[in-house]
Amino acid sequence: MKSKLPTREKSGLLHKLNEMIPVNWEILKEAGAEPVPHHLQKWWFCLGGTVLYLFIIQVITGIALTFYYVPSTNEAYQSVARITQEVRFGWFIRSLNKWSANFLIVAVMLHMLRVYFTGAYRHPRQINWLIGFLLFCLMLGFGFTGYSLIYEQQSFWGATVATNLVQSLPLLGPMLAYFMRGGAEVGANTLTRFFVLHVGVLPTLSFLLIFLHILLIRLHGVTELYFEGEVVSEEERFFRFIPDHITSELMVGVLLLYFLTILALIFPAGLGAPANPGVTPTHIKPEWYFYFNYRVLKLASLHVSVVATLFFGVVIFFWPFIEEFLQKKFRVPDVLSIIIGIVGFLVFLLFTVWESFASQL
Amino acid sequence: MSLNVKRWIVAALSFLLLVALLLVAYRQSERKLIEKREIPIVTSESKSCVNCHKNDSPSLVKEWEESNHAKVGIGCAECHSAKEGEIDAWKHEGTYISALVTPLDCAQCHEKEYKEFANSPHARAGEIYAGLDNVLAEKVEGMPGNNAASVNGCVQCHGSIIKFERDEKGKVLRIGPQRQPSIDPATWPNSGMGRLNPDGSKGSCHACHSRHAFQAKVARSPETCGKCHMGPEHPQLEIYNESKHGIAFDANRGRMDLDKRGDWVLGRDYSAAPTCATCHISSFLSAQGLIEGGSHDVGRRISWTLLPVVSTKMNRVIYKDGYKEDYPEAKELPEIGDKVMTKEYVVENEKLVSKQVPRVVEDIMTWDDKRENMIGVCLNCHNDTFVDNFYEQFDNLVSLYNDKFAKPAQDIMNKLEADGIIDPKVPFQKNVQWAFWELWHFEGRRARQGASMMGPNYAQWSGMYEVSKQFYTKFLPSVIEAAAEKGPKMEGKYRKIVAEYLSRPEHKWIEGKSPEEK
Repeated sequence: MKSKLPTREKSGLLHKLNEMIPVNWEILKEAGAEPVPHHLQKWWFCLGGTVLYLFIIQVITGIALTFYYVPSTNEAYQSVARITQEVRFGWFIRSLNKWSANFLIVAVMLHMLRVYFTGAYRHPRQINWLIGFLLFCLMLGFGFTGYSLIYEQQSFWGATVATNLVQSLPLLGPMLAYFMRGGAEVGANTLTRFFVLHVGVLPTLSFLLIFLHILLIRLHGVTELYFEGEVVSEEERFFRFIPDHITSELMVGVLLLYFLTILALIFPAGLGAPANPGVTPTHIKPEWYFYFNYRVLKLASLHVSVVATLFFGVVIFFWPFIEEFLQKKFRVPDVLSIIIGIVGFLVFLLFTVWESFASQL
Repeated sequence: MSLNVKRWIVAALSFLLLVALLLVAYRQSERKLIEKREIPIVTSESKSCVNCHKNDSPSLVKEWEESNHAKVGIGCAECHSAKEGEIDAWKHEGTYISALVTPLDCAQCHEKEYKEFANSPHARAGEIYAGLDNVLAEKVEGMPGNNAASVNGCVQCHGSIIKFERDEKGKVLRIGPQRQPSIDPATWPNSGMGRLNPDGSKGSCHACHSRHAFQAKVARSPETCGKCHMGPEHPQLEIYNESKHGIAFDANRGRMDLDKRGDWVLGRDYSAAPTCATCHISSFLSAQGLIEGGSHDVGRRISWTLLPVVSTKMNRVIYKDGYKEDYPEAKELPEIGDKVMTKEYVVENEKLVSKQVPRVVEDIMTWDDKRENMIGVCLNCHNDTFVDNFYEQFDNLVSLYNDKFAKPAQDIMNKLEADGIIDPKVPFQKNVQWAFWELWHFEGRRARQGASMMGPNYAQWSGMYEVSKQFYTKFLPSVIEAAAEKGPKMEGKYRKIVAEYLSRPEHKWIEGKSPEEK
């Protein structure tokens, strides 16, 4: 039988690899060479990339922490203490994880502000707004579950308050809260559930949604913004994704890592008293991004806080469609969403600062 | 709206987010700093006091600096300042002050607690000075011109009238360049619970809360109550230590959150064990999840009185002005709205006198209501049956003591008095008076209190066993002995009385086993 030997020019290593991975590299190359609108040369227009970068830091530091973390009520706190005090570079990795998580939430907020106020969520990009918002919720979920895993007094009681919030959700609340806690109270079952959510469920969902988010951006192309009086030549309207945009993103990344390292060095992640279900601490505070809900809770009630959060969440989620409906039906001007956005965000900021200055419960 | 304007909006909001985050971060770090070490706030009025006393009495100032008072700016002047003309006031470094801090001083801020305490049994602890205990300490134990047994003993727990040394004309003696009033050393220092203060208030808050550091954990610790509630006549601390409650507390002290600021709620803040304060004073979580109780009136949850010769359940009449009176169960209760004459002890010219004051009844708390208050605490850890059965065990012991020993002994003492064998004005003249005293005041109380707080050894060996031994081997023989001093006729009479008591079924054991038991 005559053997099908490759010809000399086809026997190269690259070709062999191409045979093993039958992908059309040319298409991929073209995909990578996506023209990027010129305004993205300024990094504050592409905070989505910063979010992704911070998310990658979260994944790496998170995996490193998982090597030592033990998700049981007896050992959780001790293992975090070991990471912080004994494991080489443990404190640094933990501090990076903590700070980049906070930066990530800020970056997501800024990214959403930019997208919202420049109207980049409008047709045909509504679906991507929905995905983006879900990603924001996932990030908050990461923050909440991650904080609870430390199993110190503050995080334990934070989890208790938060699950009580969930319990107040209409209809499914009690069932959902019971499911989250794995019982009537925060305890061993809650810890394992939060751990699985934090390192399994939430990352999987995040990867999936990030992929879809980027895929849709790629399919739609990045929204081009036209500023009044700005004269841009046709050649300068776009620049190359690879290597230009990637390089600037990497530079921003290095700068961010630089800031994160400084913060981790000066303000390393601390550790409070271990969780004690029998003793309620005088001050219970969640992470800052939940201060808004906490303030509403104190001003009104648990129930109102939950229903209000749910209501605002749903409105923000469906805003592209709501706005479209309002414009069609009532011919509301474009400026309405701007005003709503400003007022809404200012209220959020006001409540956040108010809560941080407010006396305790 | 142009994209340029929108760009500025985004920039402005982003900037505000940064400002908000910095404010939150600032506040958080500030809070952490405060939590780590809260800095004492020295008001301008207290500044000079602190400056000098930092050298004169450094530990005292340091203790105050650690206190919660210091953190909110309550310093020396806020508690020690006095008005010109007040008997205990003197001008110290330009300001009128008093060494005595009375409940009225504390009431400037803690009015609720003051009112609760002022009408509680604790506040009346100083009214014992017409009682037998006082005769013992001052006459039997003391000697003319030396009241040391009472001063070092009774006064330190019960408190006393704060008196001042006076000159021949009766004016308060003032000493030193600052003309400081000279407090009678027989009356102060004392942190007695029912101290009778010159301003008319009763009690001293620092009996439980201690001075200058004012740590909540001190008042919540059983040892604080044990300063007075211990010893042969009311060994509550020892009983508590022996009980399951005390054992649980000892093992779990670290889980009790004793130093918690604000309300200290059983079922919410701690659950490991109750302390004295838990059952008699502090708040608890009810079955409905509400915070209940919490009163500085220690009598609100006590259904029996275990102090007198014969125990009785006590109802409580509450008057419109907050004054409270205990009514033994057998005494007829007034109706709400009735005007009744009440007896109140007040200090006049440094002497305790009783006064008749008409008051209008506002509310009545029966012994059953008070028991329900206590049961509310018990139900935090125990179920209905457990609690009901405990109370039955306890009630039965009190009835046993009352019916078998206390009532007969009291009856015999009454008879001895009627026959002129003993003189109530000379209470410790004869052996029988001593035996009777020890029967109810020592052994009898130990047995009843042992049962009330689940101390088995105190209920039995240090309690009912001793009661029996006292009754049969000391009290009854000394009754005959005392009667015999009055002649053979009286001796015969009392031999008969004693024989009659001993022929009752509960004493028949003394004759040996019945035919059925054999």
